[in-house]
Amino acid sequence: MIHHGSRNIFSSRHRHVLSEMVRLKSRYLLCEVCVSDRSNLLLLDDRAIYTAAKAAVARAHGDYGAALSSLGFSVKYLNAHTGIVFLRCRKSHYRLIWSALPFITSLENRGQRVPCFLNCLHVGGTIRTCQKFLVRYNTQQLHRMLPLCQSEGMRWSALFLYISSLPMHGFLIADNMPSSLVRFE
Amino acid sequence: MAVFMDLNITYTTDKKRLRSVIETAAHLGYSTVAINYVVDLQQKKQEIGKPKCVLELFDTFPIVQGKSRPIKVLNRLTVVASDPSHFRPNAEYKAYDLVAVYPKTEKLFHAACMTFDVDIICVAVTEKQPFFFKRSPVNGAIERGVFFEISYTPAIRDSTMRRYTIANAISLMETCKGKNVIVTSGAEKPLELRGPYDIANLVLLFGLSEGDGKAAISTNCRAVHLHGETRKTALGIVHTMKKDQPLTERQEEEHVPVSKRAKIETV
Repeated sequence: MIHHGSRNIFSSRHRHVLSEMVRLKSRYLLCEVCVSDRSNLLLLDDRAIYTAAKAAVARAHGDYGAALSSLGFSVKYLNAHTGIVFLRCRKSHYRLIWSALPFITSLENRGQRVPCFLNCLHVGGTIRTCQKFLVRYNTQQLHRMLPLCQSEGMRWSALFLYISSLPMHGFLIADNMPSSLVRFE
Repeated sequence: MAVFMDLNITYTTDKKRLRSVIETAAHLGYSTVAINYVVDLQQKKQEIGKPKCVLELFDTFPIVQGKSRPIKVLNRLTVVASDPSHFRPNAEYKAYDLVAVYPKTEKLFHAACMTFDVDIICVAVTEKQPFFFKRSPVNGAIERGVFFEISYTPAIRDSTMRRYTIANAISLMETCKGKNVIVTSGAEKPLELRGPYDIANLVLLFGLSEGDGKAAISTNCRAVHLHGETRKTALGIVHTMKKDQPLTERQEEEHVPVSKRAKIETV
């Protein structure tokens, strides 16, 4: 028996040739939903944004756009209180989908039409990079908004809102806090 | 890619709406906006009035997202010209920081590119272009430092406007090769504004390259602002400002003959 060593293609050093995995690269678009009055924000859910985005891409780029947006396009995270959305698309087509997002004028949810627009803040390759940007952005927002808060209660609710927008931790905090604290009055 | 500007916010007499538009612009990250007063001289002899003082709108300007400075608000005049006699630069134009013209015929477009004293030439987005862009006036305008403006809000409002916008924008890009172009909103409501990165991506549809798109909302806008400032100065060097002198000094100066008055240069 001749020991071939690494020349045997079934040995561990050559296994990458057989099970070669093309890494599916994606882009995460971090967007903010801007509405004229914030009470409308609470009505949104991710399906509304998904249908609105698909419709906008289909309108702007026709059948080609509609086909592209059915590939690997999804809404990964939505925070209804701050209006932050993570959209995920394929790296090869994210520019096309991004270019159709400014044409969204309203979102529909359960028969109610909310006029709004999506403002893209950051494009990242992974959710972690988007989260890091979101932490920096939220600290900036806090610096802008805390001087404007007129009462202690508002300050606490502002702090809570922005801390809870961190995806991983936010789910735990948001579920346990009473809903009265969450309203931004 | 620091300073973003939006140089076209339609003036409305509704102060509240104007304030909310400017607040939204500050929230989105625009460092400078310009309130646009549109004057169409064909309709019933409209007068070119003075722009409203910007300080009337806000006590404290909203702070720009991501920076610590408040937003800067300029005044801009757009003259819709269908006749060569419509555009007559006179003292009223000096009250505005930026002057733009919207030519409706080929002759006016040629004259505006080569001779008129404007900063911005508006490209039609709400209708099919009645004339084609020719290389010679466009190149002349590029050499002079005049910029072409494309407004994106009609594209957001209506589908047929979208087609006209994209068609006219692409024909402009073919002639000017992406130089000297600015993209602005024509926002009347705060929901018609879009963020700067969104717009930089949207202009890829117009045929601009990525670098040109980013320049269209930042460096080119800044160049327009500076071009507007040079109109107020003499040859771009001396900047004069009206300074309120106290009454006593003025009366004293009147007594002294002109040749003996001290030559004062204030910078």
